[in-house]
Amino acid sequence: MSPRRILQLGVVVLVLVYPLLAGNSPVYGRLGALVLLAAIGASAWNIVGGYAGQVSVGHAVFFGVGAYSAVVVYTHLGWPPIAGAPLGMAISVGIAAVIGVPTLRLSGHYFSMATIAVAELVRVLSSTSDFLGGAQGLSGPPVPRSVLDLSFISATPYYYIFLAVLVFLLGLTRWIEGARMGFYLRAIKDSERAARSLGVSAGRYKLYAYMLSAAFTALAGSLYLTMFGFIDPESGFGILISVKMLVMAALGGAGQLFGPLVGALILVPLEELSNSLLGGRGAGLTFVVYGAIIVIIARFLPSGLLSLFERRPARRDRAKSAPVAGHAD
Amino acid sequence: MSMTLLQVVVSGLLLGAVYALFSSGLTLIWGMMNVVNFAHGDFVMLGMYTAVVIWTALGGGPWASVPVAAILIATLGVVSYFLLVRHIMKGPMLAQILGTFGLALFLRYAAFWTFGANFRTLPDTLVGHSFVLAGIRFEGSRLLAGVVGLGVTLLLHVILTRTAIGSRMLAVSEDATAAQLMGIRPQRMQALAWALAGAATGIAGALIATFFYTSPTVGETLAIVAFVTVSFGGFGSVLGALVAGLIIGVVESLSAYLIGPVYKDVIVYVLFVLVLWFRPQGLMGKA
Amino acid sequence: MLKTSRRTIVAGAALAAVGWAGSAAAQETVKIGAVYPLSGNSASAGEYSKMAMEVGVDVINNGNAELAKIMPLAKGGGLPGLKGAKIQLIFADNQGTPAAGQNQTLRLITEEKVAAVIGAYQSGITLTASAIAERYGIPFLTPESVAANLTERGFKWFFRTTPVAIDFAKAYSAFLKEQKAAGRKVDSVALVHENTEYGNSVASVIAEVFGKDGLSITQNISYSANSTDVQPQVLQLKEKNPDALIFISYTSDAILYAKTMKELNWKPGIMIADDAGFNDPSFVKTMASSVEGLVNRSAFAGGKPGTVPYLFNELYKKKSGGADLDDVSARGLEGFLVMADAINRAGSTDPAKIRDALKATDLKADQMVPGYDGVKFDDKGQNTLASSLITQMRGGQYLAIWPKDRATAEVILPYKGW
Repeated sequence: MSPRRILQLGVVVLVLVYPLLAGNSPVYGRLGALVLLAAIGASAWNIVGGYAGQVSVGHAVFFGVGAYSAVVVYTHLGWPPIAGAPLGMAISVGIAAVIGVPTLRLSGHYFSMATIAVAELVRVLSSTSDFLGGAQGLSGPPVPRSVLDLSFISATPYYYIFLAVLVFLLGLTRWIEGARMGFYLRAIKDSERAARSLGVSAGRYKLYAYMLSAAFTALAGSLYLTMFGFIDPESGFGILISVKMLVMAALGGAGQLFGPLVGALILVPLEELSNSLLGGRGAGLTFVVYGAIIVIIARFLPSGLLSLFERRPARRDRAKSAPVAGHAD
Repeated sequence: MSMTLLQVVVSGLLLGAVYALFSSGLTLIWGMMNVVNFAHGDFVMLGMYTAVVIWTALGGGPWASVPVAAILIATLGVVSYFLLVRHIMKGPMLAQILGTFGLALFLRYAAFWTFGANFRTLPDTLVGHSFVLAGIRFEGSRLLAGVVGLGVTLLLHVILTRTAIGSRMLAVSEDATAAQLMGIRPQRMQALAWALAGAATGIAGALIATFFYTSPTVGETLAIVAFVTVSFGGFGSVLGALVAGLIIGVVESLSAYLIGPVYKDVIVYVLFVLVLWFRPQGLMGKA
Repeated sequence: MLKTSRRTIVAGAALAAVGWAGSAAAQETVKIGAVYPLSGNSASAGEYSKMAMEVGVDVINNGNAELAKIMPLAKGGGLPGLKGAKIQLIFADNQGTPAAGQNQTLRLITEEKVAAVIGAYQSGITLTASAIAERYGIPFLTPESVAANLTERGFKWFFRTTPVAIDFAKAYSAFLKEQKAAGRKVDSVALVHENTEYGNSVASVIAEVFGKDGLSITQNISYSANSTDVQPQVLQLKEKNPDALIFISYTSDAILYAKTMKELNWKPGIMIADDAGFNDPSFVKTMASSVEGLVNRSAFAGGKPGTVPYLFNELYKKKSGGADLDDVSARGLEGFLVMADAINRAGSTDPAKIRDALKATDLKADQMVPGYDGVKFDDKGQNTLASSLITQMRGGQYLAIWPKDRATAEVILPYKGW
């Protein structure tokens, strides 16, 4: 076995046994689950934001729909919340189709702005809907009625559920990467005009990516609800939810399979640990640190942390042939 | 038109001029270098704190705080450009969002750390009393902000379209390499754009502080309005931002009055999406 | 990526170990967790509560001669029931999100090993945070979250000291009916409320109670608390000109409404504010002169020299640099004092014993920082003696005007404004 293989195997084993390592600390057990949940959301975002290059800043719409669907089937039908997940995914795909058709025609920042506007629209509307609990929000079962409610004290079950979903999502993404759709998406991202001239139906493939992305973002929302048991307009549809997905994917490396996971692996522990260490003192120091780290990464690694591993050989070459360019960097 | 309705329209127009004022910096940067500054709202917030500090520490009104805020935020803009934006603008669009969002969090909570979480307000006598003209009530600080808003956005428009420096800036925004060949230094022009945008934003902040509350998170509220105004108007078009600001101001006021305040945002967002549907480049943007 | 993940985990495990060791070393202190918004939009409320509770900790640990005359726990030297153990209050930032509230509560319970938790200001966060405490069997007390469903979940470890919306609504109704009987015009009432959880829930309860009591609500305006402009709403009010107006607002919108009403020169005969924004010290500090005669609800209204609220307020002013206790900070402080009293009586940091002691709580009105009739919990954990004072803005501060037996000033109407 090559060293690379051994390393890969090591990581797989580590991921599988992490809850055992964190076993005596519920906080670190939960941290693992939170990283995976964030990675699901960011990886779902990555399909349209990274691979197709359509930077959505309104994915909270789908996250919120997923979370609300889960809580609505509990509140109005008495079902276990997770039963709402397929419903949330279906609704999200529908919404993605409806808002995707007009907005995906927009280029660059316009698409981003339109998605912000749509998310804000949904947030405002949700807070006026009695069916969705209005501004007060809705809560899941206060005490679990059966194991189907997926309400556990330990984070370990969540960890493995999230891990399974993430592995499936990444597997699907990997498959798309290699399939015709992945090829088309890369072409569209590089140059939509060129892709069109080659006969790629850019609009259609962007829409497919958007719908797929929406479905899994909704699933992340449903999973969030089973774990936290409460949703309101701000925690479901707030702009920060959208931005966090984007930031994680971009930080790790957008358009790369493991980019969002790496982003989540850095940002979630950073956020939780800095809040635990600094938050109690007040004064918002947590976010000063958090913001500064994001700025530094964006400044020095604009293509994400994963570019650290890929760029090196390229850089050496460039430094040899064009020292001036190297300095400017 | 009833008197009240007229009053609603007038207050909407004044509000719209203010929207235009604090959006003009954003649209300038967006148009010049295709960068959306997610920290824009927090630039406005720092302009507002400048006014608060100048009043609480020195007792100075807008005549003192407006120029100081303009200089301070212009400096902040130039510093942000050289330390951060210059490096990320060539990267993917995501890097810009990442970088400016990180900057936004940093500035917001640096202000939080410095000034505390409290809401601050300036005394409403700072600018002068309100007066009634032809049955319509005008309030001093809003009128001042609205008029200056109109003036500054028009001035920016003139600078960009009618002066030599403006045409150099536009040349850089269209093709930096070609501009360089013509002897224009792109970085200098871009830094200048950040300085101009920062100055306009600082002025906006200092004026808004006279009738609005100031808090570390106020930028978040204002940023979304600015994003909508700018994309509505067409990116890069200062005049577009002005027109869009006025439209949004009036639509917000009228719908809040006639339908209900909860729905005013709904109507503005729907209108915005419709505009993008029919004119993807915004009202006055280049296709 | 490979390196990073392993490093994170190793670092995590190391930090966890430090956490364990740290908590084992401290034996002579009783740890209480406090989950509050210390960043985000509600951070100002969180900061005031934090300062007030820290005053409480200081009084119990180090004593205060004057308070000791009335309060048994103010003698100093910690909790007598636990051989003089000192109290350590550990704050955590809920960042204004339900998720962070839950994560931090878990940390306080499992890492800091707190004996009990207090929090979390916003009802939605109290909901998720207390669910964790319930699972771990740790008492959770909320001094300020008012959502009705909090005490309806069948929780066994949940307690609430604050009055809830129905109490406020009844107080307003009784107050307005008294004004009507005294010959003031109260034929039309307008409700203006912000549209998040707080405003919506309080407004709907008020509408319900007023409907039953025969007070007619002629206007019901719901608006978004982060509005940039409220002129259209004030113009709507001006047009209909209601006799009485009730605001249910946060700070930013309270400031805008007060400013805009003055700008547009309109005021009703009676103006009532439901606590929150209109009681925020930063509102009072800057806007008091524009809302002279505003009727407000508050759990806190100073008090005569020598009383518990007066003495605590003096201590608080020293800490805050001059700001008075307000409704939120006074209720937060009371929540802490109730918890300290229960732990003292429990004589142990065993959560079950603390819970039993909380259930047996019976504090009298003279021990209260806010204007409650005392503290005594029902089966659901709600304080049955919680009540509200109605106050009025007089020359820069709120004075208690209702109910009569606790009033320190007479009602002066109509509303003066500026």
